[in-house]
Amino acid sequence: MEMQAFQADLSRFESLNAQVLGVSPDNVETHTKFSASLGLRFPLVTDKDGAIQKRYAPGRITYLIDADGIIRFVQKGMPKHEDFLRELGKLKK
Amino acid sequence: MMKNLLLSAAALLIAAPTSSAEPPKAGDPAPLFEAPSTDGTIRLADYRGRKAVVLAFYYADFTSG
Repeated sequence: MEMQAFQADLSRFESLNAQVLGVSPDNVETHTKFSASLGLRFPLVTDKDGAIQKRYAPGRITYLIDADGIIRFVQKGMPKHEDFLRELGKLKK
Repeated sequence: MMKNLLLSAAALLIAAPTSSAEPPKAGDPAPLFEAPSTDGTIRLADYRGRKAVVLAFYYADFTSG
């Protein structure tokens, strides 16, 4: 659902020079099947044992990271794309 | 006096790793990672200077999440 929603808005994110990355503990094989079933055109990252997420925060959470590698916006729960697109629009080009 | 200062400095150095375990927030550097993906190995650092990244953690494939 969440990844499908990102795919639906992918061109809007791309037009603001943003790369969408989905992250879950699933392995690449499962990710590949899932991605194909939804026709996703952005990468799904394997977070084995939750090692990446441990360095961020638990649960369903989405981060906007600018091109300098700085976190600019964080949202828990199902991400509201309008909020992310608005914050992306504020970043320097 | 000097000894106390040195002890305080040592305590700060020891405390530093604990405080960095706080979840990062807006304004903090994003923790770097390198991991396999459906598009080969992804390195967050590779986007530096090129693109913003929307990093979406979700629970699992093939669920409503």
